[in-house]
Amino acid sequence: MSTPPLLELHDVTVAYHGRPVLWHVDLAVTEPCLYGIIGPNGAGKSTLVKSALGIVPLSDGWVRFFGEPLDRVRGRVGYVPQRESVDWDFPVRAIDVVLMGTYHRLGWLRRVGREERRLAESCLERVGMADFATRQIGRLSGGQQQRVFLARALAQQADIYFLDEPLAGVDAQSQQQIFEVLSSLRDEGKLVLIVHHDLRTAASWFDRVALVDMRLVAAGPTDEVLSRENLARTYSGHLEVLDELGRAVEAGRRTP
Amino acid sequence: MSLLHAAAASLGISSNTLVVTLAMAAVGMAAGVVGCFSVLRRRALVGDAAAHATLPGVAAAFLLTGSRSLPVLLAGGAVSAVISLGLLVLLRRFTRTREDAATAIVIGVSFGVGVALISGLVARGVPGSGGLERFLLGSTASLSASEAVLLVLASLVATGLVIAFAKEAIVVSFDPGFAAAAGWPVWWIDFALVAITAVMVVVGLPAAGAVLVTALVVIPPVAARQWTDRVGVMLCLAGVFGLVAALAGVVVSAVVPGLATGPMVVLAAAAVFAVSLVCAPKRGLLAMAMRPKPSIMMPPEGPRERSRS
Repeated sequence: MSTPPLLELHDVTVAYHGRPVLWHVDLAVTEPCLYGIIGPNGAGKSTLVKSALGIVPLSDGWVRFFGEPLDRVRGRVGYVPQRESVDWDFPVRAIDVVLMGTYHRLGWLRRVGREERRLAESCLERVGMADFATRQIGRLSGGQQQRVFLARALAQQADIYFLDEPLAGVDAQSQQQIFEVLSSLRDEGKLVLIVHHDLRTAASWFDRVALVDMRLVAAGPTDEVLSRENLARTYSGHLEVLDELGRAVEAGRRTP
Repeated sequence: MSLLHAAAASLGISSNTLVVTLAMAAVGMAAGVVGCFSVLRRRALVGDAAAHATLPGVAAAFLLTGSRSLPVLLAGGAVSAVISLGLLVLLRRFTRTREDAATAIVIGVSFGVGVALISGLVARGVPGSGGLERFLLGSTASLSASEAVLLVLASLVATGLVIAFAKEAIVVSFDPGFAAAAGWPVWWIDFALVAITAVMVVVGLPAAGAVLVTALVVIPPVAARQWTDRVGVMLCLAGVFGLVAALAGVVVSAVVPGLATGPMVVLAAAAVFAVSLVCAPKRGLLAMAMRPKPSIMMPPEGPRERSRS
């Protein structure tokens, strides 16, 4: 028997209050890579991730990780939610946020110990945030917050990572740092899926992409998928930006 | 026990009064600790709805059993609090009523029903019904030592649960999406937190009454938040603040004749809150006034990024 795909979505359909937001998505990823999930606003990109992670219930279809349902492999799946989903005035410091990544492995009632603390510190180190360990999370810049969230996902020590718009509202330095960490994860054999809105960077960053507009428009190697035709189908309701996007993609391809 | 008698005698009060006073301090501490997560989860008003909704249950328990025993009346209060929280959930799920409006409706209606029942009973001169009015504004004068001990036990259980499950409560309160993805049963943890808050509100009824007990659950945590950026420290501080507020309120209302306990407890808590608001380092008004103002023209990212080297 061949090894099952790392991630497989079959006929995934999601509806909010009876209104479908995602139709019949079929997607299989067999190899570790940087995988971009791309589409216009309201295309259901975040919903796709949330439904795969069981945060949003499926109306139809199923999702498998390593050929198994999510509940059996939670510990192998890491997640960085959108920044807006969090209460920034919460009394936690950067290191406390990263420690939350170890909670799943600890299980109910067990407290954070020295080992978890050391792991969290090394994860902060890896995203270049070691100096900010004791800073309250709301008193960091947007890019720094995002790097702390990435460190929390690293502390989950997963094999598949989902990141929802990790580069939105992030300064250039943090963008570069985040991208480097994600690339190194890929090189370690992890699958990294990234919801992304900026087509200019998409072409140069991702190995593979999926174009989403309430359904799956196209998926595969970045060069093949990001064609003018596919983009036109994905952004059909956004004609005024299409030309600009096309030019941006071309430009992105020229700069490695 | 002899030690207790000696301590009470040296203070010039009965040992019953001493036990009740200490018990209220423990209840205040527990309310502060338990309240932390209802504040952090932005559910402060849910506790208020539960508190007001205890009144119909207290009155109904009295009507049905004719009993004046505190455990019976509080059990009735707990039942009607749970029913009203259920109504709140149903209103939100099956109608288009917004959360704040739904909460306001539950607070108003349940309190109206409670006051109508109690005043009706009192007006008809039903024997023993006069004692029900103490649940409105709180009065510890008629508490027995054994009843007080019961309240302490319930308080300690509630506090113990919150401390034991602090890790789970933190991750769910801070980032419910992440918690759900990591496999934590977010709905059940939320439910447990609300349930523990409801229990704490019921336990706090004799100390502060249905109208004011929510202050005991909300003010100490908000005051504690001023002083720290860590949940663990906040839990401890909220416990201390709640203890101090309850103790001060009970003592003042015992010493000055004619003052109800609840308002004194709330005023004491408000004093702690005011001091925290002004004097806390970093978040206090004084500290903020003394800090140099950041220029509005500077981009939010730039200066902070540079300051790291």
